[in-house]
Amino acid sequence: MDATNKVTGTPISRIDGIAKVTGKAPYSMDHPVKNAAHAILFKSTVAAGTIREIDSTAAEKAPGVLAVITHKNAPKLNTKGGLRGGALLQSPDIEFYGQHIGIVVAETFEQARYASRLINVTYDKKEAKIDFEKVASQARLPKDKERADAKRGDVQSALTQATYKVEEVYETPIEHHHPLEPHAAIAEWNGDSVTLYSSAQIVNGAQGAAAATLNLKPEQVRIVSPYIGGGFGSKGGQWANLALAAVAAKHINRPVKLALTRQQMVNSVGMRQHNRQKISLAATSDGKLTALSHETVTHGAIENEFVEPCGDCSKIMYDTPNSLITYRVVPMNLIIPTYTRGPGKSTGSFAMESAIDELAYKLKMDPIAFRLKNEPARDPSNGKPWSSRTTVQCLSEGAKAFGWDKRKAEPRQNEQGNYWIGYGVSAGTYPAHQRPTSAVVKLKRTGDTVTATVELAAADLGTGTYTILTQTAADALGLSVQNVTVKIGDSNLPPAAGSVGSVGAASYANAVNDACEKITQELLSKSGKQFFVRPTASQLMRSEKLTEFQTRVDSKAPESAEEYSAHSFNANFAEVAVNKSTGMIRVNRFLAVTGAGKILNPKTARSQIIGGNVWGIGMALTEESVVDPRWGNFVTRSFADYHVPANLDIGHLDAIFINETDEHVNTLGVKGIGEVGIVGVAAAVANAVFNATGKRVRELPITPDKVL
Amino acid sequence: MRPFTYTRAKDATSASQSLANNPNARFLAGGTNLLDLMKEDVERPTSLVDIAELGLSDVKSITSGSNKGGISLGGLGKNTDAANHPLVRQHYPLLTQAILAGASGQIRNMATNGGNLMQRTRCPYFYEVAMPCNKRTPETGCGAKEGINRMHAIFGWSEQCVAVYPSDMAVALAALDAVIHVRNASGQERSIPIADFHRLPGNQPDRDTNLMHGELITSIELPQNRFAEKSYYLKVRDRASYAFALVSVAAALETEGNIIKKARIAMGGVAHKPWRALKAEQALIGKEATEANFRAAANAEMADAKPLSHNAFKVELGNRSIVLALQMALNGGKA
Repeated sequence: MDATNKVTGTPISRIDGIAKVTGKAPYSMDHPVKNAAHAILFKSTVAAGTIREIDSTAAEKAPGVLAVITHKNAPKLNTKGGLRGGALLQSPDIEFYGQHIGIVVAETFEQARYASRLINVTYDKKEAKIDFEKVASQARLPKDKERADAKRGDVQSALTQATYKVEEVYETPIEHHHPLEPHAAIAEWNGDSVTLYSSAQIVNGAQGAAAATLNLKPEQVRIVSPYIGGGFGSKGGQWANLALAAVAAKHINRPVKLALTRQQMVNSVGMRQHNRQKISLAATSDGKLTALSHETVTHGAIENEFVEPCGDCSKIMYDTPNSLITYRVVPMNLIIPTYTRGPGKSTGSFAMESAIDELAYKLKMDPIAFRLKNEPARDPSNGKPWSSRTTVQCLSEGAKAFGWDKRKAEPRQNEQGNYWIGYGVSAGTYPAHQRPTSAVVKLKRTGDTVTATVELAAADLGTGTYTILTQTAADALGLSVQNVTVKIGDSNLPPAAGSVGSVGAASYANAVNDACEKITQELLSKSGKQFFVRPTASQLMRSEKLTEFQTRVDSKAPESAEEYSAHSFNANFAEVAVNKSTGMIRVNRFLAVTGAGKILNPKTARSQIIGGNVWGIGMALTEESVVDPRWGNFVTRSFADYHVPANLDIGHLDAIFINETDEHVNTLGVKGIGEVGIVGVAAAVANAVFNATGKRVRELPITPDKVL
Repeated sequence: MRPFTYTRAKDATSASQSLANNPNARFLAGGTNLLDLMKEDVERPTSLVDIAELGLSDVKSITSGSNKGGISLGGLGKNTDAANHPLVRQHYPLLTQAILAGASGQIRNMATNGGNLMQRTRCPYFYEVAMPCNKRTPETGCGAKEGINRMHAIFGWSEQCVAVYPSDMAVALAALDAVIHVRNASGQERSIPIADFHRLPGNQPDRDTNLMHGELITSIELPQNRFAEKSYYLKVRDRASYAFALVSVAAALETEGNIIKKARIAMGGVAHKPWRALKAEQALIGKEATEANFRAAANAEMADAKPLSHNAFKVELGNRSIVLALQMALNGGKA
């Protein structure tokens, strides 16, 4: 059956939903690989130093043990191959607590774990940098040119002259991604080639990094990742465990399954770093910003840096003649930080959007009006026109939908029983990019029925890639969704961008659309006919009596996109209730209004936005990874200690999308929503807590003790 | 985990005997805590004796003896069943509230009443074998005392251990003066008042309770009382469910007019055992049930608190929580 109505933009349910809820969707460890042995990593219990000795005698004699692999017998790997975080068993040097120092391989997982506990390691310890408070003053300019000081005008003079100003420091703690599916891989060698069944947000990236690390060519490594049990950035860049699974499998000449335990996740696959952000704002008495500065101090690993761009939103959100964005970073004996949902923007917007709220309060201005007053006509960082900008609509439509007019301007004015009620608002943004992606579309006809298969090495984080690509292909080919099959998550497929940095939907959907457009053109040419109404590919397959036809496209962003500054925008509205006695906070209502261009599927899009909101609420109220400053270990290693919000913490969530057409960003006008859902959320909650209680908390998370 | 033998006990006496013969054997009931600890290498039993099929799971009225008129909870009854039993809901709503404030639905469905009393601290140093912990490995030191101790004790701690006991259920049991009935391998029975069941850490923080090895918790008796109309379990925590208490308060009042005849206050999250706030209780007897008197009572108790480097907030929070819990109790459990 050919489709009669367009399905793109309609809220169809997930294509892979039934497979997932019936357990038929294989995640990393679920793939049926025969004769697999089990490996477990063991880790350093010092933060800095050198391994003196690893005694694995007892472990090697333990039941079922097949091998113990350490730096003494590991093969030579390329430590610059692109896997993050080091820990590849290449030397006895220890740079952080919990660094992998070996692998035990056994017949069963339990045997491997038991044997790993019989291993005795001695170290020559060195003094470690594990207390941010002690080393923050040594922070210096990052090596990354993107984090160079960005200066316009003279912030200092403007601050000196201003009557209305805010100069405050905001702290966000280390957080962990903690996807429900821990990082895991099955490695299966076939001659000189290896297949790695492992979740990857960037399939081709994982392939390239694993291959380079293992000293192989990319074509010798196949990544199979049809489903991902959450990633949030931690499965974007890949980590040592991926290569070590291959090392273990090679060592015993058998397939090996290697999964991290939840407790091992905290120092194996990156984290969001602790950011100390100083915000300075100045404004005229009528609320025009005259200065804005955003200075971030954070930490990297000993060898490498990663500095999330906390100042990114601040660069473009507000119109001001004087602005300064800086970063400083200090090496620490902790695992390297990495991309974490809304990198920089989620944490940076907490600081900036809190400060904006603080200044609005000083000015006695409504915080929405204050933002609208400082709306930039063009991107202040580069002078480019916006491809489209929806901050004004997001704020004004949100205010209406939320009932912002019921907010009391002064704190402690809204009382319900033993609770203070408060409203908070924030605005946010995330860049929109389309990255090069190839796609193959294959058409097949049996009788009158035409079916299509679309193939590309895209990734579905659980956010709906299968579904939106099915919708896109169905519309572009003139088929119903039932007759479209999407194959992704395999490096044998045409190379694709990743599900990172909110580029997935725009990159994949435009490539699929281009491929479908191309195949239709090719079929038209093949027919040699002129049509008054252009037929669909499906109709052409029938009219030309073709049984099979396929094409491939290498798609990239239109060159004109470079002329514009393209971003998704949002506004967040929070209503909190704070218990007057205990300080416990509940988010009664949360509304996110998002302008993200064309929304391919409002149902999966809504899920993604409210998912980001929930993490943002977690960031605001509960999530924190704590390091013991004496040893460098995390004391928050399980979901009992690392608090993600539970159902009871979250009240009513609502998501509104601005109906907009962005003609410049890319062919389909898709901007991406993966990250923007978390941007600004923590500030909206913190601003609501201030509105409720009069207490301004500048150090996340806002636990009950901080509002007592 | 380390290799262990597993046997399924047929009756209580043989179960106890299996333990008596092996100091490294443990009872396995719901397993919600023990199995986690085994996976982390904290508990290293060589033998597990599964007692899940011994019965001992009924909730019954007590018709004779010193606790006549009270009720008895089977040691192996599930937490969920105890919380929802009509006798408990009607006569001991404080216990229902406390049980439902703990863990998650799935865990309460597995966890037993006796097992709840036997659960071990969630101190992160106890849970990580590479860290010093006198409770896990005597003589290694306490990681928490000079470390990260926001969740730790403010009452009754020792130089050896500053851990807190995690149960919510036991805090209500402490306020309700529960009695724990146990039986050993010889079939001898004894009863232990809840106040004497758990220990303060002192010089032996590895011993959580006064239960002897091989003794099996057969039942938990709740004496009859008149607190059902005025009781409340308040749990303050970092998130609304599935988190251990920063501070919790089980409060129960018996009043005549506005005069307090009896008061029971027990606290969780503040000590190595459910902390019975006897000074606060004393301060309330014979007084009017007013906010001022509640505050004075709370102050009387909290004045003795000795906070650590990261948990000074628990003193103020404990103060406020006692007052709020008493107010809630006075109002019949409503705000």
